[in-house]
Amino acid sequence: MLRVTDLTKTFGGLKALGGVSLHIPEKRVLGLLGMNGSGKTTLLNCINGLYEPSSGDIQLQGTSLLGLPTHKIAARGVGRTFQVPKLFPRMTLLENLAAPFTTGDASDAEVYERSAEWLNRVELYRLRHNYAEELSGGQQKLVELARMMVAQPKLVLLDEPFAGVNPSLALLIIRLIEAMPERDGCSVLLVSHDLTSVYQLSHNIVVLHEGRVLAEGGAAEIRSNPDVIEAYLGA
Amino acid sequence: MTADLLLQGLINGLILGLIYSLIGLSLNIIFGVLRVVNFAHGEFIILGAYAAYFLQRLLGLSPFLAMPVIFVMFALIGWALYFVLVKRLARSDDPETASLLVMFGLSITLGALMLFFFEADARSLDYMLEPPFLMFGNIVIPTTRLVALAITLVITGITAWFLYRTFPGKALRAVIMNRSAVATVGIDVEKLSAMTFGIGLGFAGVTGVLLAMIFPAFSPFAGADYTLIGFIIIVLGGLGHPIGALVGGLLFGVTEQVTVVLADNSVALLVGFALMIAVIFFRPSGLFGRQQLR
Repeated sequence: MLRVTDLTKTFGGLKALGGVSLHIPEKRVLGLLGMNGSGKTTLLNCINGLYEPSSGDIQLQGTSLLGLPTHKIAARGVGRTFQVPKLFPRMTLLENLAAPFTTGDASDAEVYERSAEWLNRVELYRLRHNYAEELSGGQQKLVELARMMVAQPKLVLLDEPFAGVNPSLALLIIRLIEAMPERDGCSVLLVSHDLTSVYQLSHNIVVLHEGRVLAEGGAAEIRSNPDVIEAYLGA
Repeated sequence: MTADLLLQGLINGLILGLIYSLIGLSLNIIFGVLRVVNFAHGEFIILGAYAAYFLQRLLGLSPFLAMPVIFVMFALIGWALYFVLVKRLARSDDPETASLLVMFGLSITLGALMLFFFEADARSLDYMLEPPFLMFGNIVIPTTRLVALAITLVITGITAWFLYRTFPGKALRAVIMNRSAVATVGIDVEKLSAMTFGIGLGFAGVTGVLLAMIFPAFSPFAGADYTLIGFIIIVLGGLGHPIGALVGGLLFGVTEQVTVVLADNSVALLVGFALMIAVIFFRPSGLFGRQQLR
């Protein structure tokens, strides 16, 4: 599905990514761990075109995404959520979810049906006519997730989906992510500081440290990896 | 008598205010989507008036028929100007300041070009509606103003429908609300920006025709005044808020015209400024805006 090869990104003299390679197969969840400043968000920004990589390649289903603007990458099926949700505050939830359809030819009825279905899945249908700015931070995360999923992406990039979310909403987000590979047919790149959730949800995990891949493997391998333990605990 | 004067001023203000709100609306959507301060907006309004004048003189086209032609013409100019000039401004580190300076330069250039080609003489559109005035007791309303009001209401209605009911209109509002989010949901911000600048200039052209219809004359020097009025309206209504522009326009129009009938023409703009300063003091984000003025 997604193959990142030897990706680098520098900002002036600072190397944020120093040759990162990773692969996410179809319908799989890849967890991405790392301390603050390790390059996780920079990697997501490179994948969805917000940053232009300095070198390396990013391929989605065998086709390079390099040089494509963000909206075209989104149109190819790459969805994205942000650590701080980026909603349209003075639009209703239904309008927010309809935003991905503004350039397509879906009918009003189809847009409503798909939006309503996702608002139901994130348990916010009752608030469909409320403005996004009226919601709590956690609810806004759910709306952003629904807005991304309503476009039926092939690959989703989730940046800290559990940050600032109360436990009951976090549980709902976990259930939604769990369902993404099989029910929704998409692959997931999950960035989170919540180790437990990443271990629980990911088929494979990559640990970034100072812009490089420090370790890769299953949850058990990562947990016992001495380099990871040292990087995380400093011992 | 004072009550009649007040009512006369109020009616004039509502009519003019609605037309002024078109200036605020177009400036506002341009700023909201592109973060570009179009300081040359007033000159495009005057160019719209000249376009109607020459379409009438050369092709015999009435101002009413000229309006859609001018809208399309100016929208195309705006669309092209976006790619030639505005795109670079919108991408700069500080688009507000960069655009303020460049558009100020463009404003001076357009003013000078109009002076060169059209000369300083004031021009008028040559047309007559029957009857020229409608009388309601002591209240006199020129028919032209009523027709201009009707046209402005139709334009406002179409704009509201476009912004709130169509997908491109909603996308445009989405960009105003959160520019960084729209591309990630698949919206082509570049295309939308070009469309916005086109619509903005289209509105400027049509507003020019409307103003030329209701005021006795226009000249190359009037552009700056309209730009100023546009910015007062934006400050009153709130940056980047289409409804705010409507309310700001009405507020300014009524204040101006009531002052004209109760005091003096020269005091009217002063009162408009006083109103703007009061809003800056007590509600810096404008009546409808959320973003504080910088």
